[in-house]
Amino acid sequence: MSQSETEYLQGKADEEYKHGWTTDIKTEKAPKGLSEDIVRYISNRKDEPEWLLEWRLKAFRHFKQRIESGEYPGWAHLDYEEPDFQDISYFSAPDQKAQYDSLDEVPDEILETFERLGIPLEEQKALTGVAVDAVMDSVSVATTFKEKLEEEGVLFMSFGEAAKEHPDIVRKHLGTVIPYTDNLYAALNSAVFSDGSFVYVPEGVDCPMELSTYFRINEQGTGQFERTLIVAEPDSYVSYLEGCTAPMRKENQLHAAVVELIAHEDAEIKYSTIQNWYPGDPDTGEGGVYNLVTKRGLCKGDNSKISWTQLETGSAVTQKYPSVILAGDDSVGEFYSVAFTKGHQQADTGTKMQHLGKNTKSTIISKGISADLADNSYRGLVKVSKNADNARNFSQCDSMLLGDQCGAHTYPYIEIGNPSAQVEHEATTSKVGEDQMFYCHSRGLGEEEALKLIVNGFCKEILAELPMEFAVEAKELLAIELEGSVG
Amino acid sequence: MHARIHPTTPYPPTNMALLEVKNLHVGVEDEDIEILKGVDLTVDTDEVHAIMGPNGSGKSTLAAVIAGREEYEVLDGEILYDGEDLLELEPEERAEEGIFLAFQYPVELPGVSMTNFLKEAVNSVREARGQDELSAAEFLQMVRERAELVDLNADLTKRSVNEGFSGGEKKRNEIFQLAMLEPRLAILDETDSGLDIDALQQVSDGVNKLRSEDRGFLVITHYQRLLDYIVPDYVHVMVDGRIARSGGKDLAIELEEKGYDWIRSSEGATAAA
Amino acid sequence: MPTTLDTDVRPEDRFVSAFKVNHGQTLNGTSASIAQQREHAIERFAQLGLPTKEQEAYKYTNLATVIDRPYTLPLSPEMPAVTEEDIAPFEIDDLNAHRLVLVNGRVHEGLSDIGDLPSGVIISSLDRAGQEHPDVVEEHYGAYVDFEDDAMAALNTAFVQDGAFVYVPSGTLLEKPVFVLHVHAGEEDLLIQPRHLFVVEDGAVAQIIEKQHSLTDARTFTNTVTEMYAGRDANLQHSITQHQGDHASQVMTTAGYHRDNSTLTSNLFSLSGEVVRNNQTLTPDGEHCESNLYGLVLGKGDMHVDNHTLVDHVHADCASNELYKHILNDRSTAVFNGKVFVHRDSQRIDAYQQNDSMVLTNEANIYTKPELEIYADDVLCSHGATSGQIDREGLFYLRTRGLTENRARILMLQAFAQEVLDEIRNDAVKAHITGVVRDRLARSFT
Repeated sequence: MSQSETEYLQGKADEEYKHGWTTDIKTEKAPKGLSEDIVRYISNRKDEPEWLLEWRLKAFRHFKQRIESGEYPGWAHLDYEEPDFQDISYFSAPDQKAQYDSLDEVPDEILETFERLGIPLEEQKALTGVAVDAVMDSVSVATTFKEKLEEEGVLFMSFGEAAKEHPDIVRKHLGTVIPYTDNLYAALNSAVFSDGSFVYVPEGVDCPMELSTYFRINEQGTGQFERTLIVAEPDSYVSYLEGCTAPMRKENQLHAAVVELIAHEDAEIKYSTIQNWYPGDPDTGEGGVYNLVTKRGLCKGDNSKISWTQLETGSAVTQKYPSVILAGDDSVGEFYSVAFTKGHQQADTGTKMQHLGKNTKSTIISKGISADLADNSYRGLVKVSKNADNARNFSQCDSMLLGDQCGAHTYPYIEIGNPSAQVEHEATTSKVGEDQMFYCHSRGLGEEEALKLIVNGFCKEILAELPMEFAVEAKELLAIELEGSVG
Repeated sequence: MHARIHPTTPYPPTNMALLEVKNLHVGVEDEDIEILKGVDLTVDTDEVHAIMGPNGSGKSTLAAVIAGREEYEVLDGEILYDGEDLLELEPEERAEEGIFLAFQYPVELPGVSMTNFLKEAVNSVREARGQDELSAAEFLQMVRERAELVDLNADLTKRSVNEGFSGGEKKRNEIFQLAMLEPRLAILDETDSGLDIDALQQVSDGVNKLRSEDRGFLVITHYQRLLDYIVPDYVHVMVDGRIARSGGKDLAIELEEKGYDWIRSSEGATAAA
Repeated sequence: MPTTLDTDVRPEDRFVSAFKVNHGQTLNGTSASIAQQREHAIERFAQLGLPTKEQEAYKYTNLATVIDRPYTLPLSPEMPAVTEEDIAPFEIDDLNAHRLVLVNGRVHEGLSDIGDLPSGVIISSLDRAGQEHPDVVEEHYGAYVDFEDDAMAALNTAFVQDGAFVYVPSGTLLEKPVFVLHVHAGEEDLLIQPRHLFVVEDGAVAQIIEKQHSLTDARTFTNTVTEMYAGRDANLQHSITQHQGDHASQVMTTAGYHRDNSTLTSNLFSLSGEVVRNNQTLTPDGEHCESNLYGLVLGKGDMHVDNHTLVDHVHADCASNELYKHILNDRSTAVFNGKVFVHRDSQRIDAYQQNDSMVLTNEANIYTKPELEIYADDVLCSHGATSGQIDREGLFYLRTRGLTENRARILMLQAFAQEVLDEIRNDAVKAHITGVVRDRLARSFT
């Protein structure tokens, strides 16, 4: 690593959480609390069709029932205070506007916000080959390259727009992979989801650019409840990436998203996440985002493929299991994950691969890195159903510990009901080898440089799965996380 | 119960060619690829046939199909063994009838002890040939003798099959099993690949000692050098799923000098003519 | 006086009322050493209730179906007549051992054949040990099994009456193994709760070989608790064969605690049963301990075997090995939940855990969950789990050597099991179990 690069990273590290600032803009915010009225209010502000409101209300009633029965999902290896659902504002729109029709309407402060985050929304400034949907709090601010994509028949827009402009497609797929009855947070999201992205790739189309959504929580006392739906028609391909940041706040903020992916015959969806929500104060553990997310893909058609890649470095608490239902014959599911926890961060993440079709294949590679007082758990399920002949799974879950006060845990569940299944799970937990460090030292590398090198090597196969445009960002993020992690 | 070729005739039978491959076309199960595209070959006892050819020409496929590997699909043609249809038989029935394949990549069987494995194999083959089961003492005696024949350290028989064996040990173990099972048709699939000169000599010596008038050999190799040690009666050159040329042992030397392209171009010339 | 469980009330209440009825009477017949924790245990059991599938630890195993039956609790010392001939088939050839025989959970002194013992060694019934050696029993009894969060251990502690007791004093090498044979007998459906205590003091060496069999077709439910202690530099090998037939269900809780430089090894073979749940915990509380857990499950019929293991690394500089294998035929189910727990200051732990399964039919099921929970950074822990079929290439290789497909398959499965069988240190036991496995596999494929 060159001197200047080291200095650069050092500089970055000294910034600590670099996205911790807020934007001072006028907002319209719903009063705190959750009720049928709030659900109606959100739907009304977003000018939604009646069927969507009805669906939200059903979800709300289901959520209420769960809460009243005292249910709270407490099985994960996480220790945090259950959020007070009545102390959150469920809708926050910048500048009295629930939707912008063009970039001209977007206030400068917001444009600057995204520019500062490295996400210019003017197309001429944008990264070539990447279309971006920018979501701040509850509202989609702008979607770039929309027209260009439409030429190919690819629909890429905010969820709100899609519900109005393409109600048939949305209605047909919404909640089919993750019904609102799935879990408490899926129910909550279904009732109050604000915005998110919608992607539709028609039959036979290779989406010509990377699609990306950038989520930003700005307002105090709000939660983020976005909902993303991606539908890939037969023989199509799309690669999608989400990124997220939030300001430093003393209180915890709730992020409860739902992401549904549907891949038809011969289609492929590649979904990548760089999650960098505010992790809370590294010394006191105060504040930070509760990142409680439900993500699931359905390989509906034969020969379809869904691939999840995630780099999880932010949030005080992360609980998510991006999963694949391998329903189509010969379908393929993949999960590649790096979860880095430090300070007081806690992560319980992994995946579920449900093999239903014949000759289905899944691969799970998970790398957990833990430092300081953090706790990092892999939790995964590989299930081979009775009729899923010739299912194949390979799982590898490696953990690395960078201190003697952190924890690394592995909880793989393997359920097999078909004799032709071949399932292999491997896991290791180790610290950075002294001989590895010594070898690096003897080649002139300092403690921190050596550590960076080794950790990068540890994560290499996951980072390689990220779209090229984002791999650099991911590496940089990881490098910054490592600063000061030498125990 | 499976069909047996010779329920009553004594072992070994006589008077027809040991192996006749006729117009054999072979593909891979569930895939639309043809690997063998009309192979004709006759091998008799007391003969050593060498099949040479470039990688991917179908040499190993031919060996695998004769031994009964299930992943291959015979699309056309036939294989006769003592004049009877070989393709009807399960792999173990072929072994009982006296076909032996020395694997290119001998399979490791962790936990399966060599001794158990050999005892089961030898006795099932002997039973099928109407021979008596060996007593423990006879069996051990035979193991010692045959191990010596191929210069295999008898200690290896105390380990699991092929597990932790070096490359040379694995190949010698194949020849040792050949000696134990006393086949009538022995197929050596690239037995020389990856061997150093000493191991090559040991393996070849073993094979030469096992040559007999009751036994035919089909030696598959990529290199002529093996044939300096195991001198063949016939040499066949396989190119693109067919036997492109057959001849005596001199053909191998000519091939070594001129390379496979010589065959390819001359075959092209023949086809064009 | 036998007490029959009243199936009209909640299963928990049946046990509580059976306790009330017999408390102060038959349950007082035992020594004070083992009676001391009864009251608290039944109270704790009533609070915890029987395990249900809603609990993570019983997610894949439904005890309710096998526990909810009108079993008789044999609380009096009378036992059905069992003869030498009856138990002869369960002997192990060439095993020259001190033999302790238990009928329906109680030591049968007539059938037992302890023989000569080195000075200070005690092999007896737990009840007798409680009376004759209360100091030893009181020091160790209840010290290693924690029933506070374990309803089945609490239930056992409330009803405990007898079981096997082995004591090997410091520095004593017990050359012959201790053979503990358990048989069920009689016409009644029984719920039996034996309690065993094995103490091997500093520097002592012992082998304990348990076999569980049945002489009856009656339904039985056995709720066993076994506590083991190995002192500094001690070596204790413990093997159990579970082979009681398909009318027998059980929960077997084993807790082993050991000190510096000691080795504690458990070999478990589950060959038959209806619902079999084994909870095995090893706690190496000292440096340079070696803890080994090996298991083999041969599933047939509707057999359901659930192995829960925990290696609790509370101390630094220790090593543990764990290998469980399943071969599942017919409609059998196996569950494996192995946990390696490394506490905060337990540095330099080398822990290895592996679970491999062969599923032979469409109706068989395997649920495996190998867990690592690690809080120390300087460790080397790994686990693996595989499930698959017999290797096709290996089968083909064997067939080209003349073995029939069936013989080849049996050989491959035997080889698969061999790795676990190789961990048996006692030659007679190894030959015996290997033979049983070979016969079973041969029967399954002909």
